[in-house]
This record gives sequence, C-alpha cells and structure tokens, in this order.
Amino acid sequence: MNTTASPTMTKPWAWPVLIALAIGLGWLMQAQGQNFYLSMLSRMMIYGLAACSLNLILGYGGLVSFGHAAFVGIGAYTVGILITEGVPSGWIGFPLAMLVSALFAALIGAISLRTRGVYFIMITLAFAQMVYYLVNSVKAYGGDEGLNIRMRSDFGFGINLKNDLAFYYLVLVCLVLSLWFMHRLMHSRFGRVVLAQRDDDVRTEALGFAVYRYQLVLFVLAGAIGGLSGALMVNQQNYVNPNLMHWTQSGVLMVMVILGGVGTLAGGLWGALLLLTLEDVFAEYTVHWQFYVGWILLAVVLMAPKGLAGLFQRRAKGVQHG
Amino acid sequence: MAEPVLQVKSLVKYFGALCATDHVSLDVRAGEIHALIGPNGAGKTSLVAQLSGLLASDSGQVVFLGQDIGALSAHQRVRLGLVRSFQITRLFKSFTVRDNVALAVQARTGNPYSFWRPVAAERALHDEAESILQDIGLAERADELAQNLSHGEQRVLEVGLAMATAPKLLLLDEPMAGTGPEESQRIVDLIDGLKNRVAILLVEHDMDAVFRLADRISVMVNGAVIACGEPQAIRSDPMVIAAYLGEEHSA
Amino acid sequence: MTWILFLEQSLNGLQFGLMLFLLASGLTLVFGIMDMINLAHGALYMVGAFLAAWLVNLTQSFLWGVLLAVPLTAVFGMVLESTLLRTLYRRDHMSQVLATFALILIINEAVRMIWGTDLALSAPAALSGPVELLPGLKYPSYRLVIIGVGLALALFLYLVVTQTRMGAWVRAGASNRDMAMAMGINIQRLFTLVFGLGAAMCAVAGAMLGPLLAVQVGMGESILILAFVVIVIGGIGSIWGAFVGSLLVGFVDTFGRTLLPHLFREIFPPQVAATAGPAAASIMVYLLMAVVLFIRPQGLFSRRA
Repeated sequence: MNTTASPTMTKPWAWPVLIALAIGLGWLMQAQGQNFYLSMLSRMMIYGLAACSLNLILGYGGLVSFGHAAFVGIGAYTVGILITEGVPSGWIGFPLAMLVSALFAALIGAISLRTRGVYFIMITLAFAQMVYYLVNSVKAYGGDEGLNIRMRSDFGFGINLKNDLAFYYLVLVCLVLSLWFMHRLMHSRFGRVVLAQRDDDVRTEALGFAVYRYQLVLFVLAGAIGGLSGALMVNQQNYVNPNLMHWTQSGVLMVMVILGGVGTLAGGLWGALLLLTLEDVFAEYTVHWQFYVGWILLAVVLMAPKGLAGLFQRRAKGVQHG
Repeated sequence: MAEPVLQVKSLVKYFGALCATDHVSLDVRAGEIHALIGPNGAGKTSLVAQLSGLLASDSGQVVFLGQDIGALSAHQRVRLGLVRSFQITRLFKSFTVRDNVALAVQARTGNPYSFWRPVAAERALHDEAESILQDIGLAERADELAQNLSHGEQRVLEVGLAMATAPKLLLLDEPMAGTGPEESQRIVDLIDGLKNRVAILLVEHDMDAVFRLADRISVMVNGAVIACGEPQAIRSDPMVIAAYLGEEHSA
Repeated sequence: MTWILFLEQSLNGLQFGLMLFLLASGLTLVFGIMDMINLAHGALYMVGAFLAAWLVNLTQSFLWGVLLAVPLTAVFGMVLESTLLRTLYRRDHMSQVLATFALILIINEAVRMIWGTDLALSAPAALSGPVELLPGLKYPSYRLVIIGVGLALALFLYLVVTQTRMGAWVRAGASNRDMAMAMGINIQRLFTLVFGLGAAMCAVAGAMLGPLLAVQVGMGESILILAFVVIVIGGIGSIWGAFVGSLLVGFVDTFGRTLLPHLFREIFPPQVAATAGPAAASIMVYLLMAVVLFIRPQGLFSRRA
C-alpha cells in the first residue's frame, strides 16, 4: 500500500543491519582498546538522539523551536542533581529526567503554541533563556561553573557504566528504542495529523482536528526524549553546565537536523555524526574549525534545503519535495 | 416544516470602519442547495469564515442544528457536521490523493490519538477513502501526490475532502474558482449528487452552475443580503439585476 | 532605595535602552520589510566594536576610531546584504535562521582570526571622570555622552523616517511590501541602504558600549536576544515600537538587576535570596515579553498588514 509523506523510505533491511553493525563495532573497538573512539561514538549518538527529538517538532511538526536545548539540559540536571543528592539509580533518574523535561515542555508548549511564526520562535527562545538563567543562578548545584558528578547512573544487575562499552550499549539501546517509537508514532494516525498540520494547519483544523492539542502532545514527547538525551549526556561527561541550555546550543541541534535531513527519521543522527566529525577533523588542523563548519552549513542551507538525507531519499514519482 | 439546518441571525462584522457583514440573516434547509451570490467584495468569504469559526463575529447568532455555535471553535463545528471547502485550494500537498481523503475519514472514525498502530494497515479507512475517490472521480489519481494534480483536479479534491467528513452542512466557497469547463461540470455533477442528502450553502460566481443547482438564492451586496428567493424570482428581481446580474446579463 | 540611586539607575536604564534601540531599529526594519530573521545582526554589532577598538588603537583617537568604524561596518553590512542575505528573502524562516546562524559562526571565527578573541577599548581620557548632575548625584561623563549620542541618533532616525522620501518608502515597505513594490519603489536598493544604515547603528552601539561591556568575540549573541525581545515587544516593523520597547527593556533589565536582589533580601531568607534574586533579575525581561505577547500577541505597535 503506498503511503504518502512516508517519514522513512529506506529499505526494510537497512535498520537491522545498521544496528548489528553498531553492536559489532562497539565490541570491536573495545577489543582493540580504542576506548577513546568508543566514547566519542557514544557522545555523537547522544547528540544524535537530541537532534532527532528536535526533528520531531521541527522536521515533522514544522514548528521552529529555538528552545529545545533547554529540555536536554533539564534532563541532564535532573540526573545530575539526583546523583549529587545520593540517588544514583538510573531506574529512577532516567524516567524522572524524561518526566521533568516533559513537564517543562508541557508548560512552555502550552503557552508558546498559542503563537505563530516568528513569535513562536521568539517565545520558545525566551523560555529557554529563562531556564538557562534560572539554572545559572542556583549556586548550590554549581551555578555557572556547572555541576560535576562523582559517578555515573547505577542500573544494577552488575552493569557498570564506567565501562565504555557498557555505556555505549546503553546509549545504543536508548537511541534505537527512541527511533523505533518515533517511527511508530509518525506512521500512526497521530503522525498523519502532525504531517498534515505541517502542510496546512488551517485545513487540518477544518477537517475537525484540534491542531493545538496535537502540537502540544508532540512538543511534550519531543521534550521527554530530549530529556533522555540529557540524562545520557550528563553521564557521558560526568558533568553538566548551564551553557548546554543556551539558545546557541538549540542552534547547534538545528544545524544537526538540517545537515542530516529535516523531516527524516534519523536525519538528526546523521547530522550529529557529520557535524561532530567535521568539528573533530577540523579541530585537528585549526582552532578556527567553526569558520569552516560555518561555510559548509551555509552551503548546505543554500543548496540542499532538505539536508543530506534528502538527497538520498527515494523520491516519489520523481517529484522534488520543495 | 422541519427547522432549518443552519440559521444565521443578524450577523455583524466590522473590519475597522468597513462593514463586511451588515446584519446578515439567512437560513439553509435540510437537503437544499442555497446559493449565495454577489459581486466581489460583497462579504461572502468573510461570512463563510465566520460561519466556519475562523473569524469571530461582532454580534449576531449562528444556530446550527438548533444549537448556538457562536462560542465553538472551528474544529468543534466540524465535529458537529458544519464543514467548509476553501476558495483558495488548501490541500495536503505532500500527501497522495488517497491519503488526503483518508485523513478526512480518519477525522470522524476511530481513535483520534492512536499513536502506535500504523495507519497504512487500516483496511476500513482506506476502503472508505477509495469509495469516496470513486464518487468524486479521482480514483485513478489515488496514488498521485496532491501537488501534482492539475488545478481543476485539485478543486475537485478540495470539494471531495469536505464531502469526506460526512457533513450535515457544506459551506462551499467558490468551488469552481479557476476551473475549466470540464472540471466545472464535474463539480456541478458532484454537488447535484449531494442534493437532498446534505444541506449546502454554495458561494459561487458561475451563474450557469448557480441557476442549475440552487433551490434558493441569496444575493449579497456590500455586506448585506438584498434579496432571497427561488432562482426565477431572483433572476427577474430588478434590484438584483441592477446591483449584480445586470453585468452578467449584458454579457 | 535612595533618590540618588534611583536617578542613577534610571540613567543607566536610559543609556542601555538607547543603545539597544540602535540595534533593534535596524533589526525591526529588516524583519518588517523583508520578513527576514537575521541572527547575524549581533555580529555586525561585534564587527563595529572590533573595528572601532582597532582603529582607535591605530589613530590613537577615540573619536576618529569610532567615526571610521561606522562607515566601514555599514559597507560590510551592505556587501553582506547584496551578496548573501538577498538570496534568503524568499526562503522560509527556518532556512534564514540556519543560514544566518552559520554566518555568526563564520564571522565570529573570522574576527578571532584577524584580531584575536578580544580587544581592549577604553573610553577617552577626557570622559573618564564623573559629572555632578545634581548635588550628590555624580554620573560618569562617558555614559552621559552615550545617552547624548543615543538620543541624537534616535532623533536623526525619526527625522529620516518621517521627513524624507526614503523614510516614506521605508514606512510603506514596512507595512505592505508588495504594495510598495507595485508602486515602483526600488525595494532592492532601498533595502541595501536600510541594511547599511542598520549596520552603521550597530557599529555605533558596539563602539560606544565597548569600553563598558568589553569587546570580545561572542558579544553579539547576548545582546541579539535582547534586541529580538525588544522588537517582539514593540511590534515587528515599527521603529516607534522598537524605541518604546528598547527603553522598556533597558529600564526593566537595569532596575531588575539592582532592585530585585535588594527586594528579595528583604523578603526571603539569605539562602533563598542569594539564588532567587539574580535569577529573577535575569528573567525579568523575558517575563515582560511573555506578558506583552499574552496581552497583545502582535506586539505593542505592530503595523503589519
């Protein structure tokens, strides 16, 4: 059955192969003692997850939110604070991180989604800044110097997250589960309405859908997954800093989404991998790597509006998606 | 006689100093096709916007199926059965024709927030979409992206989408805008087929279509309804001819 | 709070607000006429500051340094507009956001490559002392000059917009671009000029605030947010709105930072006040914006058609 606007048009065997490769790669790196690269990959996948969560509202929902980094930060701080206060259990920390992020997303979304266009962009940005400043001023948890955590989350069952491979697999599991969820979501009835309102929200409303509600639920889901990526991030770095929530960080996430392909399931992931690799590669040669990354980004925006994944995506009936 | 499906009572809307809707009253009976005609700028589209809930009126009442719907939002009115089509085509351009219609069907059946089961697997939904496509004559274009349809086909789909929501009252805002003779005929046939099943308020400029389809006609000029009656009466009404039809007749 | 302190803070608020206005006016026009979100506007402010610092050092004269930096920045802005930014007008907002975000990265690093991460810029020696405005109220003369310059430029802008033909075109374009084009106004050229003017204003603000806020890479990002808040509050496309918004934000921010911690210390226990005070101060401006948007979603003086 042909479906439209299909968020993923990749071959059905692609994902199992990719996952198998990822699992194998991790094991191989550990075996070769390449823990540095293992941990680098973990970091990239975490950013990839954050970018994919932004893609939910940005790519699929068509809502340009400039405050998404706030949810990543909130997730990170939730876990960070819990560990600091003596609650290192990941089984509590991770779900709580997602819940707190979801709550903030519900609040911010409820107000922001009543606005349109540039006002929406501005108000999401403003809220993110508010969260940033708030966290910045809480000296008890590091303030502007950030919060160090002594240990990583504890999931019991003999799992030691200090082991790079174990952590890598945790990140992989979170990533795969989240992507699977997003895949099911966007192919469901709910997903259809989301895609429809991106094309034309007035028409969607005129069919009898309460568009605001769908947008809000989407916003909350994106916030929750963002929070998950934050929980992973604070573990990966053993540290979290309010700068994680600065609007420029939201910009970085947006860059990842656009580089990898707006509105594709894993575009955020590919974009994160690409951007972070570019950064690392350029950083080897020059301290001014941002200069070169900036030009590449500019080129992509001007010439390939759908990002790189858009170039490889199978196009329906040879028509360019504008 | 049964109560009219739609009753508009003295609706008023100002845009600054401009009176777009000047104490407009009209009603649409069950199963009838009530046409609304008038020169450009007469306020027809503003009226449709107010009836569908996209624009708030300054005063007056809109009663639908015996219920005052003034406070209801656009989507709530659609849920009650008051559906509109748009003068400027609004379709889901990145969706296929079939999926456009399927979405309309989805709106009134099943769980609105279902987030796990793939829509593609819903047999019943797609069968119904298919049959609606048959009805409107777009079945062979079912797999085409909406943005690839010709303008005329898009107008047909526009009307089809509104029909797919199973309305009790259809507000058709210039469905034939910009269509050629073939598509116009198709749309006229479509609307004709709905007669006696759905109440329709038809805003149109195409006089041939209007006189062929309408059970009653209301004429709007400068925001006010200046005449309302059966097509023959309207055709020969001197005031209407002077204000509007005069230009058409001399053509 | 004593009267003296109140007046002093008011002057600070006025000073900051006026400088914000220099940024916000250009931004609101770009947004209002061309419907373009330009995140790189803050970069122009930074470039102006760096050019000024460099030229002041070169010419050993504050006045000359600033006077030369302004037209140079204006030219830079115009070149940027006519080559790159022009291609973004017809694109969607997200593309504009990303492209101009990329520009920030490029310009930031370019500045760093040319001048390093920061440059020293001090106020001219002649203005380093305070002026006694009222008995007991000593105010830094440099800040007074800033206020003077800010007011003069605001007046200048007002005259240009209301009295000149170019100003009339700008106002026409701001409220209805298509109409303006239909009336034969060469919107392309007008736009480059407006952009150049905006860049010049940014340069003045950057140069004048440099001695107070430090000339460093990234200085544009923090003030850019405030400029956006200003134009959202004031209404996109409205210069008057930008003026009112700037003063409002200037005062709220300044008083927020000085008053609120005081207030909180009176009301709350020191533990709480130490955290909540500065936090509340920082978010005051955003709260203001949220409130304005809630009451009047299009901003206070929006003239958008």
